[in-house]
Amino acid sequence: MDDEDYQSPPWRKWLVNRFVMTPLIILLIAGAWDLYANTHNSGLVEGTVVDAAGNPVAGADVTLWTFNFTTFSEKGRTTSGPDGRFTFTDNPSHHIQVSATKPGVGSSQRRPIRLFFQSQDTRIQEPFVLSGGA
Amino acid sequence: MVTATVEAGRRHRSSFIARKTTRQAVLIWCFLAPSLLIFLLYRILPLAWNVILSFQAWSPLRPAVWIGFDNYDEMLTDEVFWQSLWNTLYIIGSAPIGIAIALALALLVNADIRGRDVYRTAIFLSYPLMTVAVAIIWRWMFDERVGLINYVARSLHLVDSPIQFLNSFTWALPSVIAANIWQMLGFYMIILLTGLQNIPGNLYEAAEIDGANAFRRFLRITLPLLKPSIFLCFVIGMLNSVTSFDLVYVMTGGGPGRATEILVTYIYKLGFVQTRFDYAAAVTVVFFIMLITIAWAANRFSGGNAGAVERD
Amino acid sequence: MRHYPRWPIHLILLVASFIMLVPFYWVLKTSVSGENIFTYPPNIIPRNPHLFYYVDVWYAIPFARYFLNSVIVSVLTIAANVIFNAMAGYALTRGFRGKNLVLMLFLSCMMVPFQATIIPAYLITGKLGLLDSYLGLALPQFSTIICIFVFKASFDAVPKSLIDAAKIDGLSEWRIIWKVMMPLAKSAMATNIILSFIWSWNNFLWPLIMTRSADMQTLPLGLSRFLSYQEDTTGALYAFCVMVLAPGILLFLLAQKEFIQGLTSGATKG
Repeated sequence: MDDEDYQSPPWRKWLVNRFVMTPLIILLIAGAWDLYANTHNSGLVEGTVVDAAGNPVAGADVTLWTFNFTTFSEKGRTTSGPDGRFTFTDNPSHHIQVSATKPGVGSSQRRPIRLFFQSQDTRIQEPFVLSGGA
Repeated sequence: MVTATVEAGRRHRSSFIARKTTRQAVLIWCFLAPSLLIFLLYRILPLAWNVILSFQAWSPLRPAVWIGFDNYDEMLTDEVFWQSLWNTLYIIGSAPIGIAIALALALLVNADIRGRDVYRTAIFLSYPLMTVAVAIIWRWMFDERVGLINYVARSLHLVDSPIQFLNSFTWALPSVIAANIWQMLGFYMIILLTGLQNIPGNLYEAAEIDGANAFRRFLRITLPLLKPSIFLCFVIGMLNSVTSFDLVYVMTGGGPGRATEILVTYIYKLGFVQTRFDYAAAVTVVFFIMLITIAWAANRFSGGNAGAVERD
Repeated sequence: MRHYPRWPIHLILLVASFIMLVPFYWVLKTSVSGENIFTYPPNIIPRNPHLFYYVDVWYAIPFARYFLNSVIVSVLTIAANVIFNAMAGYALTRGFRGKNLVLMLFLSCMMVPFQATIIPAYLITGKLGLLDSYLGLALPQFSTIICIFVFKASFDAVPKSLIDAAKIDGLSEWRIIWKVMMPLAKSAMATNIILSFIWSWNNFLWPLIMTRSADMQTLPLGLSRFLSYQEDTTGALYAFCVMVLAPGILLFLLAQKEFIQGLTSGATKG
């Protein structure tokens, strides 16, 4: 142990101890997280709309709601494509709700979605099921 | 600083010895200067200013007028002042409870058992924490519905309906004190533990040979030799708990009513909410005299110069 | 020593440790489950725990700003403390005229709790024009008496022969301080760093009094503010609590030995 100390250069003693390494590791993790967040925050929200039987629904109205202090307010609207897919490209928030509706087919529940940072790109796995008819 | 020393040196070119001692004295005072300046600025000057202010009628908008003892007269009939004074004394009076618990824990941790460091860490962990956060934690623990304490009490059928700890006139102050003890316990324990470890072991062996049982050994050896540590705990604990502004401010804000108002929160409210700096200064003077008196009494009680710094 | 059963000691200490630690668990649990005051009975094990309350806090308040303010004030305090206290401690190891007076002054200052000086301290800081500034936030804590005595004790412990030898070798006063004294006062320095960090990091009353703008608020202030205006966002509040407590706990666990040593030496010497 002592021999090692003599051989190792002096900067090692200052660098390799728990008081330096712990903050350093935390900084590294924070930096990596920041990098990830900054390259994945274009505000994409993707998902699909299906009917009660599971078939894709085209032309459904999909609404994006964002959280404002106490309530959710409407932020954007889009319609689903021929394969039932929809995409929002301008989600600014980290706490959103998405709902879909189409006259004659029904409407889905408003589903809350929470993200790890604002405008995180996200793909909603579970499709929005329209039901209720009318 | 260096130039000052050099200049001081130049002025005393006449004698080598005189130059050297003066130079050293200047150096020493230069070394002391920053600390002295800060203590003068933030300890001594405020103390004097408090006293002056307490005899004046002054606010940032009015010029100062000497009014003699009017501020102190007002205090005599100020119910809130008396309430907060009693509450402060109540908190000081509860300090021995914490110290007693800490002493018991210190004796146990001092025993020759495995994992004592783990216990010590667990008990000490609450001390270095931010008091504002501690206050928020304990607000939650004492909560009427989701608080753990009420939940446990109700599950064990100790109480029929939940106790509103922080909203009740009887329970609010004890609740604050409990939170304070929780935070200070580890500190007391560490101080007492050091005191215990400084007691020479052969004293116990001798007493054991003389046939003294454990309780008598504790009473005759441990307790007298621990007196300085206990005194220290009391004084630091007193300074700490009496001034536990953060805890009261965040946990209850002095309420309900004035049930948990202590002198420091009252001084803060007088000065910075009602902008009555003059009256607040008078209350501060009384508060300070009270602190000094209690510390002096505790020192006398513990047998003289306990806790004094060795001087050379 | 006679043998006695150990399990009662372990049992009592386990119960005590449990009581000391359970509030931490309760807060941690709330910060991931967000159970608010309308939940009864509370769940002991959190149901559907998630980390999104931490995200909420991050965007609900300028956490980074508060954190930065706290760090700046703490760094200022620590730097000033180590330098000034070491200087004063060194001066007190030397004999000079008026030393007893200075010692008396220091000891009597120790009995003046800062809370008993808030009103004039505020007025003085105002006269200095430092209200609402980093320097003003840190200034009252720039030197602490306990730490001066810690330094004094560790300088006193340096053997006289070592200093004499250095003098014979022709080292100047400054070089003696830097090359001989400071390396031997490492533990005093560690103590001072830790104590002044804890004191300035946790300080609440002084920032409460003297900060005006939202940009200058430190973490404790931000925490108490958050409590007052977001009473219903329980999960976020306790997430904030955890985020505020984490640095202190981390530092304590890292430097436990130095911390406890420093506290006891500081308290028993001072």
